[in-house]
Amino acid sequence: MKRSQINNTKGFTLGETMVAMGIASFMLLAIITASIALQKSFNAVDNFFATQIQQIRIIEYLNRDVKRSYAVTSTGSPQKVTCTIPNYIIQCGDPDANATCTGTPPMPPSGCTPPGCNIGTRRNPTVKLSANGVSVDYALDAGGSPITTAVDYSINNQSILRTENGRLTTIASSTDNLLPSWLDVDVSNTEYLSTSITFLPIFISGGATAERSGTTLFSTAYLRNLRRGN
Amino acid sequence: MQLERTNTGSTILCALCTILIISVIGANVLLNCTTRYNVSAKQVKGWKEALYAAEGGGDIAFSEVRKLVGVLDPSTVLSPDGWTKTGSSYSNGPYTFGQNNSLSANVTVDQLSATLGTPPSSWPYFRIRSQGTATLLGLPRVGMDDRMDSVTKGDSLLRKIDFKYDHFKAKYGDGDGTAGTQAIQTVTKPQITRRIETIAVPQFLTFTAALEATGSFYGPGTGNGGLIDSYDSKHGAYTFVANNPSAPYYGDSRNGNVSVGTSVFQGGGNIYGNVTTNGGTLSLKKGLVYGTIDNSVPFTVAPLANPWSPTASGWDATSPTTITSLTSSANSQATSAQYVYSSLTSGITINPYVDPSTGVAQETYVKIVVNGDVGGTITINNHVNAQIYFTGNLSINTPLVVNSNVDGVAPNVSRAGHLQFYGISPAAGSTQAVSITPGGGSNKQLYATIYAPNANVTVNGPTDIYGALVTHDFYENGNTSFHYDKQIAQLLLAVTDYRIASYIEDVR
Repeated sequence: MKRSQINNTKGFTLGETMVAMGIASFMLLAIITASIALQKSFNAVDNFFATQIQQIRIIEYLNRDVKRSYAVTSTGSPQKVTCTIPNYIIQCGDPDANATCTGTPPMPPSGCTPPGCNIGTRRNPTVKLSANGVSVDYALDAGGSPITTAVDYSINNQSILRTENGRLTTIASSTDNLLPSWLDVDVSNTEYLSTSITFLPIFISGGATAERSGTTLFSTAYLRNLRRGN
Repeated sequence: MQLERTNTGSTILCALCTILIISVIGANVLLNCTTRYNVSAKQVKGWKEALYAAEGGGDIAFSEVRKLVGVLDPSTVLSPDGWTKTGSSYSNGPYTFGQNNSLSANVTVDQLSATLGTPPSSWPYFRIRSQGTATLLGLPRVGMDDRMDSVTKGDSLLRKIDFKYDHFKAKYGDGDGTAGTQAIQTVTKPQITRRIETIAVPQFLTFTAALEATGSFYGPGTGNGGLIDSYDSKHGAYTFVANNPSAPYYGDSRNGNVSVGTSVFQGGGNIYGNVTTNGGTLSLKKGLVYGTIDNSVPFTVAPLANPWSPTASGWDATSPTTITSLTSSANSQATSAQYVYSSLTSGITINPYVDPSTGVAQETYVKIVVNGDVGGTITINNHVNAQIYFTGNLSINTPLVVNSNVDGVAPNVSRAGHLQFYGISPAAGSTQAVSITPGGGSNKQLYATIYAPNANVTVNGPTDIYGALVTHDFYENGNTSFHYDKQIAQLLLAVTDYRIASYIEDVR
């Protein structure tokens, strides 16, 4: 048997190999650079939208609480908003939490002892005549003063906190310096809270970081439950 | 043997890997985009729209409640408008609106009552509960954006979306802990529901001064007895002590306040109280003002609507000249017996309800609407509280108007507060006329309140008026005096409208 001889003449010369490797390295570098840039861009965009949604969340939390507040106060330093809200729902530990059951109660919160059968239900309003006309309250103490809940909004490092009856909820958390600003305006016959929230995007353009001002979200909420002097 | 090698396998492998990587990246981007899109375009939108729907339902209910001024039985108004009555509750809905009827509102109105005022009286008020629902269009399997950290939830604490089941119905039932109302209830499409509760309370007519004239003012009379002062009927009948600081009720005597809505003020006798005008300069012919003067106080007075309408029920239209057959239910202003007349010039006598078992008269409330003029004999016997509304003119001849109640007797200590005249505001540009004359009889005294914001009032002396007055123009002539009863400010005279006094969102 004659062994066939294969003469492969298709090999690369050293020069060709070097050129090919050079081009390939250049292309690989471009691809890697583009990938990193793409990844950064994606992260920045994702982060931008995620933070924007947190902005909306803060605004919506605030608007919901401000609308149902008797009164709202705000301080600039430290930045804090306090909403005074009527106790509409009977909660664990309330004086009337153990009233006689009239039906199957909702599930009481865990850790409430004794588990008042009416916890989690709505209160009936109390209507009375005051110096400023007819007013409405939902829970009164023995002296006839309304029992209310304070809801605080505050800032802790990069987080926006909401505290209701001592229960703390982080409603927004961002490494991008999410910064709210509140202004409580009390005019002659109404009151409103203006809020603006900004954050620092992580985009970098031309070596400079993007502007914070371009991310401002404004909102105004009126106190629909305002107590007028009583 | 010839060995042949090809490299096509690795090429396919590389291509597949590339496609896989790109697909993973694409899927990741798509997932993020879809979640964000759903949050921003669907969930935030639905959250806001659910509140709009709830508030829309609340507004519909409130507009119905405002029709209930002077109505004893709300079902006479609400039932024809499509509301379903269950006990003392009325419900309606769903009202659907929005894109493809994606929004809906269900509303319940509960009639409740509160004891208000002096003397205490039970007044109706209304609790409006509205539930607004927004359907979330799009993919139901896309969840919420809760990405903050490993423990903290973001949106799911705020926007409670019912993807498959109504969470409120499952956990809280009807919300009031009523047995058997909790149930697992599926929803056809993902939805957001928000619930608001508003309380509509009555707005009352009240007197805030002795005399309020939105137009010109000439008074008190320049006769020797012409004056304006005050007293408090809870201490008994009026005596003049405004010039006697040592008198026990001297402090009640100097609240004869006069408010004038224009610059036209012509003073006559003494005024023991404060005077305000709107740009006027006080011109006093004879007396003095024993109080403060402020000439830059504009004010307005609410017009008065007719509490009766041709379609209203619960009104007696037999025009009796003597009202005696009253029942025990007419024991508060909110439940007063109601009569309607085309005119009231031939005299009327009103007697109280007498308990047949004890023979004792009870405090009795009567409301009369006169679609015309009022004059002649008006006799209000003891324990009767009469409100007389008129669309025409009012002519009072003091000997013919007898108010037999007594100052200082509970529950309504004000004698003048037992007889109340109301001038129903005529069409814009028109005015009414109210005349008070002493006539020829011996009784020169009138115990009554008059609220007639579009009436020009003329008083001729000698007369003594005890009560309070709201007019357009006011003119007193001769020996006329006016004594404001401070107790009248405590009276809730009539419901003129309803207003929202409380707004709550149920955030469960």
